[in-house]
Amino acid sequence: MQFETIDISGDAGIRARGSTVPEAFANAGIGMYSLITDISWVNESTSIVFEANGDSLEGLLVSYLNELVFRFDTHGFIGRKIEIGDISGLSMSVTVYGEEFDPGRHEQRLLIKAATYHNIKVKQIDGMWEVEVVFDI
Amino acid sequence: MFEKLRRIDENRLEVPRDYKPGMKTRGIIYVDSALERALELGSVEQVANVASLPGIVGASMAMPDVHTGYGFPIGGVAAFDLQEGVISPGGVGYDINCGVRLLRSNLVRERLLPRMKDLVDVLFREIPAGVGSKGKLRLGKADEEKVLLKGARWAVERGFGEMADLERIESGGCLEGADPSLVSNKAYERGGAQQGTLGSGNHFLEIQYVDTIYDEEAARALNLFKDQITVMIHTGSRGFGHQVCTDFLEVMSRAAAKYGIELPDRELACAPFKSAEAQDYLAAMKAAANYAWANRQCLMHWTREAFMSVLSMGPHELGMTLIYDVAHNIAKVEEHTVNGRKTKLIMHRKGSTRAFPPGHPELPDAYRKLGQPVLIPGDMGRASFVLLGTEKAMQETFGSTCHGAGRMMSRHHAIRQAKGRAIWRELADKGIIVKSTGRETLAEEMPEAYKDVSDVVNVVHNAGISTKVARLRPMGVIKG
Repeated sequence: MQFETIDISGDAGIRARGSTVPEAFANAGIGMYSLITDISWVNESTSIVFEANGDSLEGLLVSYLNELVFRFDTHGFIGRKIEIGDISGLSMSVTVYGEEFDPGRHEQRLLIKAATYHNIKVKQIDGMWEVEVVFDI
Repeated sequence: MFEKLRRIDENRLEVPRDYKPGMKTRGIIYVDSALERALELGSVEQVANVASLPGIVGASMAMPDVHTGYGFPIGGVAAFDLQEGVISPGGVGYDINCGVRLLRSNLVRERLLPRMKDLVDVLFREIPAGVGSKGKLRLGKADEEKVLLKGARWAVERGFGEMADLERIESGGCLEGADPSLVSNKAYERGGAQQGTLGSGNHFLEIQYVDTIYDEEAARALNLFKDQITVMIHTGSRGFGHQVCTDFLEVMSRAAAKYGIELPDRELACAPFKSAEAQDYLAAMKAAANYAWANRQCLMHWTREAFMSVLSMGPHELGMTLIYDVAHNIAKVEEHTVNGRKTKLIMHRKGSTRAFPPGHPELPDAYRKLGQPVLIPGDMGRASFVLLGTEKAMQETFGSTCHGAGRMMSRHHAIRQAKGRAIWRELADKGIIVKSTGRETLAEEMPEAYKDVSDVVNVVHNAGISTKVARLRPMGVIKG
């Protein structure tokens, strides 16, 4: 997987990469899900689709991840695979494959409560896109 | 940049105005020379950033448990003028009205020891906690609106506790002026199943005993005695408050641009206090604060029930009543004396606790003479403290003090340190029974991940911004 955790006092962060912005964003989402549980136990039995918008690439990343947090916190939806369409005018279409979280079957790791703008980064390095985001837990 | 800091006295460091361009006032960090060594540069930067916000009154302050937060440092105290100043969600935090409540009982330690395991098991079953856990309550939008307007009173009216509990909660467990119509549907949806849940991370429910009394007279007035069993509950407004903060960070970010406020960090997003955006945030924040007070009230009720059922005791015999409930992530309009004049200010306390002195009109009759009880939780292996607010806090820190031990080690570092160790067993060897839903929670939250709360409390005590009454030791801990 194209992500790793960032060490930060008290909270948790993800650094993710991709050859395009949508790919790096999708990997950041998978990274976030991996903080919540071991996603190898998650089935791709259902899917959700939504449109995310932002005022900048950073804003778009935060708003998309916060939508995933919201879906988990309200409907227990946990994803394993994320597909993001092309970004046009700072909006993008997101499809997530996963299922409802079941504490009996899924490991309970971190309760992510929000994606933040703290030290957020969306940048291109040597032709690859790299993003960093920190979560409030 | 540490070399720019100047020691004011034994307990305070100054972040001078020339620490960073744009500072409108100095910063003051309450640390002694020992805790100064644990100071992170990031939190000093944040104290300086807050000092650059419009309309700040007095110094940008941080308490000895300070650590780097989002925008504002955790452990931060900042006051803003109502005319010239701003309100910022980052100065409150994501978990609006995260706070602590302390319950007393008639029980002594010896009496409870043989039943501890059963009690912890029952509490673990009855208090919903952890990732993906569901509460016992399901609130529709109409019910939720009542929670947002009434706070802890809503819970009492539902049969969770007694009316007498309300006067022993900061602000009576309800901030007036909450406006449920300013809360997004997303926040309602997140809040619907999370009322009456503990959450995860550093939140906990802890069975404790009083092991040291520092101030006999105050302890008597608070109805505390040596070896007595107490219960501490630390939680907040759950996903509801987080959603309110997330929503308003976007609103405030646009507002800051609209009103021409330059932000060194987007998490400092703010708006002039008088603006519509700021007033909307304040009314939504109050709704979230009330949600949190109702939450702690529900959890207290189920805690009492668990004690009564495990010990086969009636409420009178158990005598489990509320000592106090404090918010440590909140913004409030308060009256303070600035340059000899009484002035209303918008106080931001993020990871800091109100510490009002004896005689303050906002205190309930029971504590008017004594001063406000201040509750400081520590890590799960060491101790927690009860203190009282002072006149000096009113003069120096706008009636504020610390809120906890303050994290020292990152989660990752803590997990690495805990590798190959059984934290639960180490705690059990010290006579502390711990139950947690998450495997990694115990590692992240192990005692060494935190500063020693005693060091933190000694600084605020020595600085005179609150005074020690009693120390509480953990016996059993429920975590998410």
